[in-house]
Amino acid sequence: MTRLNRPEVYGIVFVVALVVGAILVAGANPFEVARAAVQRALFTRAGFLEALLRTVPLTIMGLGIALSFRAGVFNIGMDGQLIAGSALAVALAPWLPGGAAGIALFLALGIAGGAAWGGIAGLIKARLGGNEIITTIMLTYVATQLLSWLVRGPMQEKMRIIPRSDPIDAALRLPVIVEGTRIHAGFLVAVLAVVATAFVVRRGRYGFKLDVVGQNASAAAYAGMNPAAIAGMVLAVSGGFAGLAGAVEISGVYGRLQEGFAPGFGISAIAVALVVRLNPWLVPVSALGFSLLYAGLGSVAQKALVPFPLITIIEGAVVFLFLAASVMPARVPAGAKSDG
Amino acid sequence: MDEILFVSAVLAAGIRLATPIMLAALGETLGQRSGVINVGIEGIMLVGAFVAVLGAVETGSPWAGLALAMLAGAAMGAIHAYFSVVLKAEQIVAGIALLFLGIGLSGYGYRLTLGASGTAAAIPGFRPLDVLGLAGVPGIGPILFGQQALVYLTFAAAIAMAWMFSSTRLGVIVKAVGEYPAAAASAGIGVDRVRFACVSVGGALAGAGGAFLSIAHLWGFVEGMTAGRGFLAIACVVLARWSPLAAIAVALLFGIADALQIRVQSMMPGVPYQFFVIAPYLVAIAAVGIGSRTAMPAALGKPFRPGGR
Repeated sequence: MTRLNRPEVYGIVFVVALVVGAILVAGANPFEVARAAVQRALFTRAGFLEALLRTVPLTIMGLGIALSFRAGVFNIGMDGQLIAGSALAVALAPWLPGGAAGIALFLALGIAGGAAWGGIAGLIKARLGGNEIITTIMLTYVATQLLSWLVRGPMQEKMRIIPRSDPIDAALRLPVIVEGTRIHAGFLVAVLAVVATAFVVRRGRYGFKLDVVGQNASAAAYAGMNPAAIAGMVLAVSGGFAGLAGAVEISGVYGRLQEGFAPGFGISAIAVALVVRLNPWLVPVSALGFSLLYAGLGSVAQKALVPFPLITIIEGAVVFLFLAASVMPARVPAGAKSDG
Repeated sequence: MDEILFVSAVLAAGIRLATPIMLAALGETLGQRSGVINVGIEGIMLVGAFVAVLGAVETGSPWAGLALAMLAGAAMGAIHAYFSVVLKAEQIVAGIALLFLGIGLSGYGYRLTLGASGTAAAIPGFRPLDVLGLAGVPGIGPILFGQQALVYLTFAAAIAMAWMFSSTRLGVIVKAVGEYPAAAASAGIGVDRVRFACVSVGGALAGAGGAFLSIAHLWGFVEGMTAGRGFLAIACVVLARWSPLAAIAVALLFGIADALQIRVQSMMPGVPYQFFVIAPYLVAIAAVGIGSRTAMPAALGKPFRPGGR
């Protein structure tokens, strides 16, 4: 581990140079960009609160990614699963009771919708061996189009002006937990999700199965497990996380269904989970880090220092850095070893 | 007669819509045959699409735009190859990082250059050919003689690649590296070098696919304009069982589905358009469901470590 592996150093230098080069090409000073981003994200109230708010869905989705990638199942379609869960929850919201039970049911519907959408890819994977990378991303395109139809068709607001749904009942909204901010009880949902996931991964039989299937599918089959069925189930479960994130965003922040309310969160969640080697305890830390990056760079982009897609370049660079920095045996889910 | 014209128009458009997928699928076939999965070709296509437009505008020549897009694609492929072949990192994860990089670089570059000016720059794009003056022949004319030059080149590339795999020493080397890397290495073949080259050339082909979208099919770049075609290309490769010619055929299926949905959409204005737009994606999902469970290159996705793991 201590040996300085030269090719990896080249990789790291290249990736850093790429990001710095991109900023220089825009005619900006990298230090100035970094300073402005840090200033906004850490030392302004608005920037920090914006980051905290984004941490909630990114944490929940990052947990779903951690579970699925641990099993060697590459669910890259969480954005579609998030849409499916959100749409189902909002569609059935009028029939829900108010209060805590109603909110719980609303979130459960989100989980169900996301799990169903992920479950389609899961079924194709388990029964037919269809590659989940392709099916989950295709299902995301399908979900995006269906959402576009829903908010202009059957689920559009009564006024029929803007492509969005009517607001859900105020009794179904997650309450604000920090006076004077938009920080809502979804925070507690995220904390619960972290603890539950960590418990399952570390102690549960299910977590053990995930790791075995992820590391060596034939050994898992020999031990009487059914890797295909487990992989299929993993897609449904991680889809449930995406749906939960969507329902939390709607109940906690937006209050209604609309297009593009969680832009690219499913893809960002992959970077979030990978960087902490799929360790559930560290997912919220990583989610906060990326959220701070978003909040900081968003404001830098608004000041026209650099275009906003720099954030996506940095996300890619961070994953490459992680790959270069970790001495990772091929095809073994990261983090599986250190968890013992 | 109307039916013939309809079929002709759908086929001609289907070939055009399939070409970017074909090019990317050929690139991915080459890489996967050598043992490397690249799930980031969507990102490479986006970079290709952007660089092609920028290059064509700056030089005034679509061919220069295409060449630059292929160079950029090769560079993106080389990044993937560096991480997955040289560093032997997890290939799927490296591909995902490449996807981020492609989305980011293309959007970033576009907003810095062409997207920065309010007015749309005039883009010198490719025009369809009129081969032997027969493009106007009803029925087969638009299909066979009225396509873009790149379409003919794509079919030529597919045939060349099929021939390479079936009848050349180079093809044997690539297949050996993908199937039996240890045997190839003991025969004196530089496994990592071959893989690096294949993934880079594959990147160039994906870059060309992106270029077709932005300077031949449409004239202009829009962020995210590939709309999943890179992933459709991966589906083609798997469904075609790693055969270049079959990959062309599967891509054609997706292209025709796309062309059909556009036609039928305009014929049925009462039905929400979104139901038609999802057609190619549904075809892809169904195809992946039906056509999987195949024998893939034995060493696909596995880094080669001399002397075993």
